[in-house]
Amino acid sequence: MTEPRLREELEKMKGEYEPLLPIERKLIWYTFAAGVILLAALVLISRAFVP
Amino acid sequence: MATQPKVPFEPAPQARPAVITLPMPGISEDWLAVCIGLLVFVLSLGPLIGADLLGWAVTTSVWTSPAKALAPASKLYAKLPPFVSLIGTYVFLLAVLLAGAKALRINLARFARGFTVVFIVSYICWFLGNWAHIAATPDKRQALKIGWSLSLTNESGFIIALLAGLLIANCSPRACNALKEAIRPELFIKTAIVILGGFLGIAALEQRQLAASIMFLGACTIIAAYLIYWPIVYFVSRRYFGFSREWAAPLASGISICGVSAAMATGSAIKARPIVPIMVSSLVVIFAVVELMVLPFAAQHYLYGQPLVAGAWLGLAVKTDGAAVASGAIADSLIRAKALAATGLAYQPGWIMGVTTTVKVFIDVFIGVWAFVLAWVWSAKIEPREGEKVHTRQIWERFPKFILGYASTFLIVLALGLAFPSLAPRIKASMGEANIFRAIFFVMTFLAIGMLSNFRKLWQEGIAKLAGVYVLCLFGYIIWVGLLISWLFFHGVLPPVVRG
Repeated sequence: MTEPRLREELEKMKGEYEPLLPIERKLIWYTFAAGVILLAALVLISRAFVP
Repeated sequence: MATQPKVPFEPAPQARPAVITLPMPGISEDWLAVCIGLLVFVLSLGPLIGADLLGWAVTTSVWTSPAKALAPASKLYAKLPPFVSLIGTYVFLLAVLLAGAKALRINLARFARGFTVVFIVSYICWFLGNWAHIAATPDKRQALKIGWSLSLTNESGFIIALLAGLLIANCSPRACNALKEAIRPELFIKTAIVILGGFLGIAALEQRQLAASIMFLGACTIIAAYLIYWPIVYFVSRRYFGFSREWAAPLASGISICGVSAAMATGSAIKARPIVPIMVSSLVVIFAVVELMVLPFAAQHYLYGQPLVAGAWLGLAVKTDGAAVASGAIADSLIRAKALAATGLAYQPGWIMGVTTTVKVFIDVFIGVWAFVLAWVWSAKIEPREGEKVHTRQIWERFPKFILGYASTFLIVLALGLAFPSLAPRIKASMGEANIFRAIFFVMTFLAIGMLSNFRKLWQEGIAKLAGVYVLCLFGYIIWVGLLISWLFFHGVLPPVVRG
């Protein structure tokens, strides 16, 4: 079994764009939102409790 | 860069990528690093029972006369000629690593030959890096009787090793190929990190409250890698660079989390073909080299007033364990030298590197969990396959085992110091001896990283588009967000100052 070359792979991707699925959008933005909220919470906790 | 990736098949030789070697069967490098690191650590504890088992190991001090550079680590071995000490150190490491090579089931003769070259070149680089005109900080010039120095500290040996490795890889790839059995940056750095645990345990023992705060703050920063970096890098590579899901997910993990192992774990989790994470990993290693050569100096220039912000930043920005911890080591020396020159504050060594390591280790811990989450999302929602189940045991399978070694040495030193406070000075001396081997593993890591970075071949592979995502996300997003998050958590937290 031979491996595809990267150059060929990238050429192939140009012609076969996979649109973002709704579940991917959810994964992206829910994850990011969770990160920002957790970050804010941990910054507050660290300011309050970490000497 | 933690787990031993499982690659379903060996690619055809002609398709081998430029920089990544595939794992061999047998024990994983992770477990091997734990074994070797613990062996060095246990032997270094000899002075606690009255037996100095590693005192013969060679140390290199900052030198003006080469003849006075080398010496055995312990005064007990003061009569041992330095060259014998150096040979003894080489023979010890060769013997230990040959046993490891046997466990990895690789050709012992080739490994021995390769390791000998790696050790010799690494030690020459380390030796050169200790030349007073390169290494000495301004406060040491008078004692060394020199009028000028670059003030790069002895860690400049790491940079020299990296440059030597890059030179060999790009001018003589055949030489690298001939030595490939022994070019194992993952094994070297993981072993070094296991040993480093004991060294950081000493620091924690001396400053318990600060160490506890750093552990907590370090744990907080992992949110950046998984929840703030990953989704944006994935989105950019999908939306603006048109990558398929199969490429975008390993790429996002490689750029956001921890290079090679995260890309491998993600590739496996989403059932990508082996070429995908391998190519991503190759790119990660190349960019880690670039980061390693730039960011510690940027940190020295801009963050010498906030040394621990710099440490956390490097842990969040530099991908691959080796390059991250190594950049922490360089920044540690550079920033302490600059802080001393600019403000007169002499910070204790090791704290900046300790923060970088803490952040990186915490990020590594969750690679398995993240791979599990992605495997579930892909198999249940994105590309559902009938009868396919995602098992929680994947989390353990992908857990970076060398972290267990790191945690063990850290906790053993801490527990010994707390239980027997009178032993603390001897434990510190013991860790000093172990640290000699940590430095040697570090310098071999730098050389090996350089030797695995064949820029020309990667360019020929057509990696420019992947590099485009990397450049945009790393320099346009990750570095700045990492800096912000490091600042939020570590601003105002300073390392202890050397007394007297």
